[in-house]
Amino acid sequence: MGFFDSLAQWLGVRKKEVNVMVLGLDNSGKTTVINHFKPPETKNHDIVPTVGFNVEKFKSKSLAFTAFDMSGQGRYRNLWEQYYKECDGIIFVIDSSDKLRMVVAKDELDLLLQHSELKNRRIPVLFFANKMDVRDAVTSVKCSHLMGLENLSDKPWHICASNALTGEGLHEGVDWLTDQLKEVLERKKK
Amino acid sequence: MSGGNEKWLDAYHDPVASLYTFTQCLTLSDIQADGDWKLIVADLGTGSYDMKLKVYKNTTLMSEHTIIDLPTGVVTFYMDTLEPRTPAIAVASGPYIYVYKNLRPYFKFTLPPLDIHPMEEDLWNQAKDDQVNVFSMRDMLESLRQEGCSLTVRTLRLLQLEPNNIEAFVNVHKNTPLKKQTVITCLTTMKKSVADEDAISCLVLGTESKSIYILDPEAFTVLATMDLPSVPVFISVNGLFDVDYRIVVSCRNGCVYTLKRGSKDVTKHMIELNSQPVGMERINKNIYVACMDETLHCFTSKGKKLWTVRMPASIMTLEVIDYKPRSFAGILVSLSNQEVHIYKEKFLVDVLKMDDVVTGMRFGRFGREDGTLVMSTKRGGLYVKILKRTAKFEERDMSAGPPAAQNVKLNVPRKTKLFVDQTQRERENGVSMHRTFQRDLALLRLKVMREYVKALDNSMNPISSDPMEPIKLSAHVQGIGPTFKFTVKLQNTSLTQACSNLLITFDYDDKLYDFRKKLVQVPMLVPGLTYDFETFVDCLNDKGVTENVKVYVLKPGKSVPIITGVVSMPVSESIVVV
Ligand SMILES: Nc1nc2c(ncn2[C@@H]2O[C@H](COP(=O)(O)OP(=O)(O)OP(=O)(O)O)[C@@H](O)[C@H]2O)c(=O)[nH]1
Ligand SMILES: [Mg+2]
Repeated sequence: MGFFDSLAQWLGVRKKEVNVMVLGLDNSGKTTVINHFKPPETKNHDIVPTVGFNVEKFKSKSLAFTAFDMSGQGRYRNLWEQYYKECDGIIFVIDSSDKLRMVVAKDELDLLLQHSELKNRRIPVLFFANKMDVRDAVTSVKCSHLMGLENLSDKPWHICASNALTGEGLHEGVDWLTDQLKEVLERKKK
Repeated sequence: MSGGNEKWLDAYHDPVASLYTFTQCLTLSDIQADGDWKLIVADLGTGSYDMKLKVYKNTTLMSEHTIIDLPTGVVTFYMDTLEPRTPAIAVASGPYIYVYKNLRPYFKFTLPPLDIHPMEEDLWNQAKDDQVNVFSMRDMLESLRQEGCSLTVRTLRLLQLEPNNIEAFVNVHKNTPLKKQTVITCLTTMKKSVADEDAISCLVLGTESKSIYILDPEAFTVLATMDLPSVPVFISVNGLFDVDYRIVVSCRNGCVYTLKRGSKDVTKHMIELNSQPVGMERINKNIYVACMDETLHCFTSKGKKLWTVRMPASIMTLEVIDYKPRSFAGILVSLSNQEVHIYKEKFLVDVLKMDDVVTGMRFGRFGREDGTLVMSTKRGGLYVKILKRTAKFEERDMSAGPPAAQNVKLNVPRKTKLFVDQTQRERENGVSMHRTFQRDLALLRLKVMREYVKALDNSMNPISSDPMEPIKLSAHVQGIGPTFKFTVKLQNTSLTQACSNLLITFDYDDKLYDFRKKLVQVPMLVPGLTYDFETFVDCLNDKGVTENVKVYVLKPGKSVPIITGVVSMPVSESIVVV
């Protein structure tokens, strides 16, 4: 641990800031996931489909996240790539009950991983196999298979089954992402 | 599954879904008003039982209802203005329309009965009172059928029975009143007074009795009926019932008719096809018709043909792609060679290779995806493909399309004064020009005939006109002189008859030429073979004078040659004295 880290922790105020993009198809639950992490007083109780994107801030145990909650609708998906450059991590939310569109999610993921801004970066990707509570939902193992994650070897990734309505699985995922991002920051400092 | 297609994603496939259906019985709709569009299928089952209305949510079957008779069409439509905006499902089956709301049976509409032939009705009435012998009744009904009268189903069934079953059949049925009902052949919807996405729609249906009915969606009364010259099979509607509309129907007689609000004349803008229609769709104002002779035609709404494309196999069904986000409109053509071709206008832009013959297709929103193509196949499979967000349909990117040059506008020069004058002259004197031409043509023909007769009379032609001596002659000269080789070829052109006892001789100027053989004895000519006869000719003149030589084929005892050949001799080189 470096001196500044210890100091920041000692002061207990300044956390390191990171930018993450929250991506995934429309209706997969991106906004609901972010909403879960927001402090109670700013929580949104009526979530509507996102138009364009929203920027939200929340804190995990040791990092301050700036989350770009992008809209997943087809007509807005070309906005995603505009922010690839600035982002430190990706949260990819999958509706694990929408079997029909799993191929679409995979297609979008492949486009993202192939994008020139991201292709050569070891950027951590966190997948949420969301809506695990729905009756027809597939397991996170099946989901990672359908998304072809076994072939994703040049980036650290992690998949969690989640229920964004209750928050189940969300913290496990964000803890993993926090650890990954901290490692990256540490490496940068050296 | 699909051979290397970079435009479509394979979202789902179940080759053993045991779904037996076709395009008219497939539809996509937001029947629960939750933005998650369902697939609604009227499954034909085995064709005699197991007919079902099935609803798929995502890839799972969420509801099933048994249908009594074979379904011929499924549509969804808004029948009220209640919230939430859930559309109703209408299934056409036999003479009925079954309406389902919130996936529960809601209403059954029956087509009005048709008039029964008075004789037929009379006969059954007599049968009821046992006043007629069943066999004479049968004979009378049979003669009605042969006259071409349209009869009730009950009578038709009676006519099919073995004689010993007739009595029992009549006894079972005679006491129930006779009814004549028709069958629905096609079904679609038409917005009533506003064009909104969720506006109330009327049902429009075609029947086996050659009529079109428009039904009120709330009261289920018949708002309008129209008669056609033939049985409608495919129907397409645009416009609003209360304002103005057009109904385009293709019929079993191979014609496409356009019906307009308030117009009774169906033959206006009629399109006659070369073959029976197997599918019809409309994009904007153009009518696309697929025919049994493997062709796809495009017509304007006025009935003018724009183009025809020939398919490599029989067409199974048609469907429209109208993909708004990319503003792409095209036509999907399913073929019997397990391919689905996509045409933009007349250009083939994509081919989907399937592993079964596609019998039913719907393109639209399914689940939450706008560009979804749902297909059912002959062996009962269900396939779903999704158009990629990045897919582009390049016009004419397939080699099979016509060359690009075909669409380049030619630089046609402006009309000159001369051209205009000539046109004017032709327009004014058309009749006399035609007459002059005809007269000259007749004179020319006469002259030709005269020459021909003369040639025949003199046997001046190299092919014999005498059926007894069917011979063809050809002669030619080789060499540069002064000695030439003269070859005469004779062929017996008959199939069976041999020719014998012929002579060849030559007619020439003996001051100019000297034939070494002046007379050639011809052996018997076997049919079909060519015989060569050669002689040398010496030219006696070295001034470059030539003359024609005639070859005669003679028969002893005949004063006229059988055939004559004329050979023009080449100029002879002078003798080189060494
Ligand atoms: N059952 C269930 N529903 C969920 C879950 N997560 C989200 N939803 C619901 O899914 C719907 C869509 O959620 P959103 O958060 O708006 O989805 P989004 O990914 O932000 O969608 P866009 O902004 O359109 O891209 C909402 O009705 C949520 O209540 C989950 O874990 N389980
Ligand atoms: Mg959102």
